[in-house]
This record gives sequence, structure tokens and C-alpha cells, in this order.
Amino acid sequence: MRVIDAHTHPVMFKRGLRRAEIDRLVRRGRSLGIERMVGLGDVLLHGRHFTAAQIREVNDDSARVQRAYPGYFRFFCFVNPLLGEKAVMGEVERCVDQHGFIGIKLEICNNARDACMKPVMAAARRWSLVVLQHTWSQTILRQRSFHTDPADTATLARRHPDVPIIMAHLTGCGVRGVLEVKDLPNVHVDTSGGPPEDGLIEYAVEQLGAGRILHGSDLPGRDPGVSIQRVLGARLSRAEQQLILHDNAARLLKLA
Amino acid sequence: MLFDANCYLGAWPFGLMPELSPSGLLRHLQRSGIARAAVSPLDAVFAPEPMPANRRLFSAVRREHRLVPLPVVNPRLANWREQLAECAAGARVSAVRLMPAYHGYRLRAVSDRFLTELAEAGLKPVLTVRLEDERQRYFALNVKGVPVADIAAFLARCPRMTALCTGLAVGEALQLAEAADNFLADLAYMENIELAALLRPRLPPRRLLFGTLTPMLSAQAQTAKLAHRGFSATERRVVGFGNARRFFE
Repeated sequence: MRVIDAHTHPVMFKRGLRRAEIDRLVRRGRSLGIERMVGLGDVLLHGRHFTAAQIREVNDDSARVQRAYPGYFRFFCFVNPLLGEKAVMGEVERCVDQHGFIGIKLEICNNARDACMKPVMAAARRWSLVVLQHTWSQTILRQRSFHTDPADTATLARRHPDVPIIMAHLTGCGVRGVLEVKDLPNVHVDTSGGPPEDGLIEYAVEQLGAGRILHGSDLPGRDPGVSIQRVLGARLSRAEQQLILHDNAARLLKLA
Repeated sequence: MLFDANCYLGAWPFGLMPELSPSGLLRHLQRSGIARAAVSPLDAVFAPEPMPANRRLFSAVRREHRLVPLPVVNPRLANWREQLAECAAGARVSAVRLMPAYHGYRLRAVSDRFLTELAEAGLKPVLTVRLEDERQRYFALNVKGVPVADIAAFLARCPRMTALCTGLAVGEALQLAEAADNFLADLAYMENIELAALLRPRLPPRRLLFGTLTPMLSAQAQTAKLAHRGFSATERRVVGFGNARRFFE
């Protein structure tokens, strides 16, 4: 079965760019049948407060990985919406023009319902990019001032119905997260986040349809072998599994 | 062939998986190449006293030798001696599961007398560190994982016993391994693309057991952890089967 991993972080936590580590990671991915990986950058390198220079540093590191493995990694541009319209637009334009990035990645600098998201969505619209929003249920965590709950991603999607959004972390969003975005066709969900809870992928397929779910591992903290087998072990048809593991990402992100 | 060291029979009220019969559970596990499993009763997690659930477990697996009963005990209840005696008398019982986080006690509250009589009964302790990721647990259930310091202190009190700790995360397992060496750990809650290499310096394969945490987590997904090239073929056999067989049988 063909596989794309739509949620990876090949550069992490101040370790810098170590070619040997990323080589191992790519070998592991290829051995599992992963044809392409979507890289999202070192988005927790500076916690949740990133300056413009730090954002640029993260994206330049991502670009180095992308250049080192041509055709294997495609990256999203990481932005901090709190830096304002000029900084966001400038960085997205730079990443698209210079690096050929294919999406915008949002982490925990702010909540997705905040007004500062407007220029981010304008940039996505202008350069025809997909927005991947880190999302986690805040029922327990209670960090909603900066951490996006599925209800907030749903609010963002409702405000910008013409922008395709990936709500990251199905496992962290849970049943409530699936239901929040059920009626929002511009929202896809990736399967990453937490241990491989059984039954949740089947539930997401039942509610959203297999065409709105993307396979993602969140490596290196998670193992793509586990995330792939979670899909293959789910009580779904082969066609549904193929959509989740490969076809949806290929279509949405034009990775064919 | 795999031996699942961390498996439950019954329904998890906060999950999406339907309840399986013993034969249904076996078929479910076999689809992922798992031939045997140590099973505990989920009914005992929230019950005021675990023995009724244990008795149902004994009865359910009596004719199914591929499911090894792993009963639950609550050492803080006044009838702990009766619990131990009945579990020790159960067919094929070699260990008992403690669930301090769900039964409302700290490990330091487990009496020395209980530990002594546990050993005298020839039973090994299995410590349940967690059953679900605390970040997405059911909103009204404020159960946190058992702190590593509590487990380390517990292990220091019974240096001649080897406990199996189920549900440790990678960081917790490595931290615990710095403080104690009389424990084994299952892989159900451990995950990393370099898992074997991360664990090996402090927790070599001889101290690791394959575990799925069925029905909460996906059994098939868990098998991928052993398929990783970080484990040699021999190590896969040891972690996947041999260590659990030694512990439970």
C-alpha cells in the first residue's frame, strides 16, 4: 500500500540539523513504504514565543532538509501570527518563492480563533496553501489562551471556508473534535497525536468519510510504523485505508 | 509469535471498542500475530472490591489456556489477605495487578505485611502506571499516572521481587531505571522512532515486554514497535514472547 506521512518534524528540539539522524529517519520511512513526508519544522524550538528571526531560522532549517532530500520532504512554512500582517506575509512569500513550501504550519503561539489569524488565512488564500493547525482538546489541558481546541479550529474554518485546513492530531482531538468539524468540508484531520487509541479512526471515517482523513505520525517522538499499522489494523476497507494512508494527502497537497 | 503482557477483558467505558468475549479477544489478538495474553478484568478498575470481577475472569479463561489470568488486587482493602489467597489458588495465576491510581492509594500505603505475604504466596506484582493518556482522559475522571518516585520507593522496599510496570512512558521508564533495577516494563505507552536505541543503555531487551493495552489501544499498531530494525531477531523473540512467558508462566 502506498503511504505519505503528512505530519513529521525531522528537525527537533535544538538538536540542529544532523544529517546522520535524518538519514536514519528517511531510511526508516522508506523501509515502511513511505514515499513522501510532509515536514512541519522545529516548531517548539523556542517554546511558544518566536521572534521573526527565530521563525526564519526554523524555516531555513526546514529548507535545508528539503534540499538535502529532494522529492522526499515537502515542508510547510511555520509562522507566528502574533508578529503581525507584515511579518506573516513576508515570511510566507519568502518560503513559497525561495523554498517552494506547500502550506502554513501553526503551533501554539496563539489560539486559532484569535483576530491575528486573519492575515495568515489571507496568505494561504493568496498563495493557494493548505493551513495545518496544531489542535488538542483543552478539556483537560486548559491552556486555551494560546492552545487551540477543536472548537477553535472549527471557528477558524467557518470564518474561512475557502481555505483548506488540516486539523492536526485526531487522537488529541478525540470524538468531540471529530464532531466539531463534521459539517466543515474545508477541514481534513490527521491521525497523529498520542498513543494509538483503538476505534477512533473508524469513528472519524464514519462521521467525516475516509476522504477527509490523512495519515500522520508526528515523528520522531512517534513511530510511523505504529501510525501506519494503526490504519491498517482499523476495521476499514482497503480502499478507505489507501485514501487515508496516501491518496488524500496526494490530492490535497498535490504530492502525486 | 507474540505474548501480550498488558491486555484487558471487558469494556472500557471511555473508549470506542466494543466488549469482546474471551474467544473474540483471542481472534482480535491473533489477527495481529499475538498468540497469548495476560488478561486483567476491566470490571475491577472501578469496582469497590476486585474479587467479583476476578472470579468472572477466572471463569471466562478457564478453558482458554492462551489467556493467562492476571487478577487485580486492592491491598488497601481490609480483605487483602483473602484476595491474595483466592488469587494464589486460581489456576495459572503467577502475578497480581495493582492499580493504585484507580483504587485511590499511594504505593507507600501498601503495607510491608502485604509485600511479604505476596512473596510467600509466590505471586509477582504488576504495577499499573496508567490506562490512558492523561491529556485526553474522560473529563470527569481525574486519574493521573503513578509518579516514578512512588514506584522507585516501592521497588526499594521489595528488592528481591521483580515487578512488571505497565503503562510507563519512555521518559518515565528511563528515569525509573536510574533508580531501580528490579522491574520490567511493557512497551504499550512507549513510542519513538528510535525506541530500541533510546531504551537500550538503561533498559535492555531482557527487561522489556510487548504489551498492547487492548482494548484501549490498537493491538496491530503496537506490533510495529517490535518490527523496528532497532531490535535484532533474537531480541524481538525475547521482548515479544520470552520475557512474558518467564514472568507469567
